[in-house]
Amino acid sequence: MPRPISRSLFLKGLVGLTAGATVGKLWYDWMQAKASIPCKMLGPSMSIGHKLRDGATLGRKSEQPPEECKVTIIGAGISGLSAAWWLKRQGMTDFRILELESHVGGNSASGSNRVSAYPWGAHYVPLANQESQYVRMLFEELGIIAGYDSTERPIYNELFLCHEPQERLFKDGSFQEGLVPKRGLQKSDSRQIAKFFETVKRFRDTVGSDGKPAFAIPLDLSSTDQAIVSLDKLSMSQWLQDNGFDSKPLLWYVNYCCRDDYGSALEHVSAWAGLHYFAGRRGNAANAENNSIVTWPEGNGFLVDKLKQGLKDQIISGAPVIAVSDSGSAVDTVFVRSETGECLSTKSERVIFAAPRFISKFLLKGDLAKSQVDFEALSYAPWLVANITLRTVPRARGTALAWDNVSYYSRSLGYVVATHQNITTRAGETVVTYYLPLSGSDPNVARHELLSTSSEHWSKVIVADLEQMHPEISKDIIAIELWPWGHGMIRPSVGFIWGDTRRKMKESQGKVFFAHSDMSGISNFEEAQYHGIKAAQGVLDQLRRS
Amino acid sequence: MTYPLLLTAFAISTCGLVYELIAGTVASYLLGDSVTQFSTVIGVYLFFMGIGSFLSRYVNKNIVLTFVQVELLVGLVGGSSATLLFILFERVESFRILLYGLVAIIGILIGLEIPLLMRILKDRLEFKELVSQVFTFDYVGALLASLIFPLILVPYLGLIRASFLFGLLNVLVAIWTIYLFKAELPWLRSLRAMAVVLVIALVGGFAYSDKLMAFAESSTFQDPIIYSTSTPYQRIVITGGGKDVKLFLNNNLQFSSRDEYRYHEALIHPAMASLKHPRDVLVLGGGDGMAVREILKYPSVASVTLVDLDSEMVSLFRDQPLFSQLNGDALKDKRVSIINQDAFTWLKRCHNTFDIAIVDFPDPSNFSLGKLYTDTFYRAVKKVLGPQGLVVVQSTSPYFAKNSFWCVVSTLSSVGFQTVPYHAYVPSFGDWGYVIGAKSPFQLAASYPDGLRYVSADTVNQLFSFPKDMLPTINSVNKLNNQSLVHLFESEWGEYAETH
Ligand SMILES: Cc1cc2nc3c(=O)[nH]c(=O)nc-3n(C[C@H](O)[C@H](O)[C@H](O)COP(=O)(O)OP(=O)(O)OC[C@H]3O[C@@H](n4cnc5c(N)ncnc54)[C@H](O)[C@@H]3O)c2cc1C
Repeated sequence: MPRPISRSLFLKGLVGLTAGATVGKLWYDWMQAKASIPCKMLGPSMSIGHKLRDGATLGRKSEQPPEECKVTIIGAGISGLSAAWWLKRQGMTDFRILELESHVGGNSASGSNRVSAYPWGAHYVPLANQESQYVRMLFEELGIIAGYDSTERPIYNELFLCHEPQERLFKDGSFQEGLVPKRGLQKSDSRQIAKFFETVKRFRDTVGSDGKPAFAIPLDLSSTDQAIVSLDKLSMSQWLQDNGFDSKPLLWYVNYCCRDDYGSALEHVSAWAGLHYFAGRRGNAANAENNSIVTWPEGNGFLVDKLKQGLKDQIISGAPVIAVSDSGSAVDTVFVRSETGECLSTKSERVIFAAPRFISKFLLKGDLAKSQVDFEALSYAPWLVANITLRTVPRARGTALAWDNVSYYSRSLGYVVATHQNITTRAGETVVTYYLPLSGSDPNVARHELLSTSSEHWSKVIVADLEQMHPEISKDIIAIELWPWGHGMIRPSVGFIWGDTRRKMKESQGKVFFAHSDMSGISNFEEAQYHGIKAAQGVLDQLRRS
Repeated sequence: MTYPLLLTAFAISTCGLVYELIAGTVASYLLGDSVTQFSTVIGVYLFFMGIGSFLSRYVNKNIVLTFVQVELLVGLVGGSSATLLFILFERVESFRILLYGLVAIIGILIGLEIPLLMRILKDRLEFKELVSQVFTFDYVGALLASLIFPLILVPYLGLIRASFLFGLLNVLVAIWTIYLFKAELPWLRSLRAMAVVLVIALVGGFAYSDKLMAFAESSTFQDPIIYSTSTPYQRIVITGGGKDVKLFLNNNLQFSSRDEYRYHEALIHPAMASLKHPRDVLVLGGGDGMAVREILKYPSVASVTLVDLDSEMVSLFRDQPLFSQLNGDALKDKRVSIINQDAFTWLKRCHNTFDIAIVDFPDPSNFSLGKLYTDTFYRAVKKVLGPQGLVVVQSTSPYFAKNSFWCVVSTLSSVGFQTVPYHAYVPSFGDWGYVIGAKSPFQLAASYPDGLRYVSADTVNQLFSFPKDMLPTINSVNKLNNQSLVHLFESEWGEYAETH
């Protein structure tokens, strides 16, 4: 009879196997690492912002005399560009726009590569409400609204209306149409979802005691009826609880919407803001459903490009403003030419401050620095956006690829497909834009996480998240580019929209008018445009009078 | 003899796990959703291993003989499993029955192996040693299999070859066992012969796996494939059996040379002949040149502009004599200019005017094709037509997909065309539909070019009447932002596919 396996043989074998497995694993990891996806961190120039914050000296003095103009606009985001658009419309062209970045657009900027153009932030605008007259005006000018039908409903250019299918949701192993969960619902879930939509529909039709709609776009046109405005004093989660909404799928959906529009979870958003998302949109069209939107491969970068055409002489980009002071007869705006490091300035009668509002506390000097605004009350949600170039459209179970693709299980908002609006039958490479609001923790902590984490790590997190929906996606990824937005969006925290801080933020300070979407407490195209135009109107008014 | 036998435990467990992984992977490739496929394959496999173990109690006589037979059988079934699955995928009614059937057979055989082996060894080892050693080798083999499968087998050998290789391993185990027990085994000769035949077959399969893969694809089609290629846009397959040449794009039949004249005559002549002197003709899609062949039967035609995305498709039907003879070398005609672009994008930039546009796209089976059937698209077509201009659209079957067909009609009307729907019977397709869109009142021609086989002045009227079962029940306009045609098409053809 042969010897049974001895203990020492067994142990040796075990050691051998462990060694083998370790080597194998290392080899496997090495192979994987070799095949890792190229990724790159882009993003706004933060160093200048941080230097401003820290009061570091920037640039060297130049001998050039200041450039004189009637108006200086600081910041070429949607608000700054809209201020310029309005000034020009009113026949005033003697202005300069100073933009920190080498490109314009701010949160609505876009990029492009061999495959497609794609957004770096804002990517759509809903159908314009009746009262959103400036949006309609711009849309008419750009041919986005091609005309009106006999009942005054706008006819939209169909190439810009989001093509079907618009949205899909990944839940329970496959994609369903639309974002409101449909599968795996209890009776009570369906009942609550129906009731929720009835409730918001009622809000949509509500008119306050002052005759204004309860929720308007821009939100400053909303009713100030206390009964409605007092909704700003509680959080959205509180409101849902008070009204008996506790269905998980419903809460998921409402939370998703808050994260999507405000970059913040239910608990951190006021009920007024939360409801505004659902009850504010009353846009319609002759040729689309009411919940339609307009979008382009480059997202709202399309609007930025249109707005910037014709402003070539006025825009100075790569020109961070570092100081604004009132010299009595005029306002001096000092900026650095990023290319040369020189400090230059403009001397103008009025200034439109269209950079994020909190920055004004670093830039405004002298008398202008005496602000009433409690800057501590401003809270900003950090975001991470990634543009992912893919060899082929991602495969998954369930309904076909939509423009907006969301997972029930992810802390991201999913992705939008840049090539969705293409009128081509070429299947193949595409770019998808992935959105991750860092709404989980305190914004300051999240901002730190965002900026201190390497691009490789973020790419891994993103790919792992996408693999939940598309198990085989990693082999189709050509490249990932990341864009961290440290102060992506102002947060409509409880009490902010109808509180004192916001009211004071809107007031002009001497010759300086404020235009950023921050002044709404929520960040979107309509609000940014509105504040840009309001500032321009204020400036024109004063200039006319003086 | 104990260690050699224990080594077999190692070998057979490796093989067993590899077959299971192969089945799971092939199923994921073919059916998608790897989580479901792997879980169900593993579950079924383990269950049938249990059945195999249970059945081992009924083996009472010559245990070694049964063990050898099981090994040979596993070698055969397991070794050819990947090939079988790939080839039969298109051929069998229910692939899942085949898949789980195969997994079950392999599971039972593998389940038999270890109990049999243990019984062979039972007199040679103490019970506790027996159990410990057999299972040690068994599990180590499993580890080996699960490591080499993703790291070496799939990337370097591919599934078909990997399965032949492991089939071979099983047969070698059988041969090894025959050798060890040659004194005790009956039918030595026939066992050896069987083993040799299997070795040859499996080695052959391993060597010719490329050919097998190609065959697996060809089995999708009834006739031999005479040409196949993948362009960036589609998979083109042309089959030819005798006189009948068929073109498949992404496995959908586009034409059969036996009756394509019906399809193309009906597409072209009712509209073309109604024009007095059609000069400038636009063809969107239709890179096979058959439509152009019909168009060139009108002497007044001065130019034909063919816009087709796929340049390879067009050059196939222009430059390869075998296929260009089908369209009578129409694409070589001086009057024809070919543009390889997206029709929609091209149209939006086009500033020329045409007398007639022929729209011959694949059916609206997905959202990107659906865009070529929208009101926005037809508006772009209308813009390039002269005041008397006509458009003809192939618009799927009014019998199988009647609402889809009428949706195309309403969409054309919605942009201001006067619409004239009609249909023709094309045996290899069934009843097929077309719509003429006219910018000014449409009147059928009194005469047609010579040499037509299907359309004639006497019978053309029949094409324009629709029986009741082809009338719509839903009326909708297809738009970029509702894609109602794709939704209708999906549900109508889906329904048809389910019931047939
Ligand atoms: C990830 C993300 C997604 C979004 N998606 C949408 C969407 O889909 N739809 C939508 O409507 N809205 C969306 N938004 C909201 C978006 O913020 C607004 O639509 C709009 O772009 C805001 O414009 P703005 O002009 O108010 O602000 P900003 O875009 O912040 O513009 C401010 C500009 O000022 C410049 N600036 C800052 N400091 C200085 C300085 N010192 N000197 C000179 N210039 C300076 C900045 O570079 C910037 O260009 C999104 C926002 C984010 C972050």
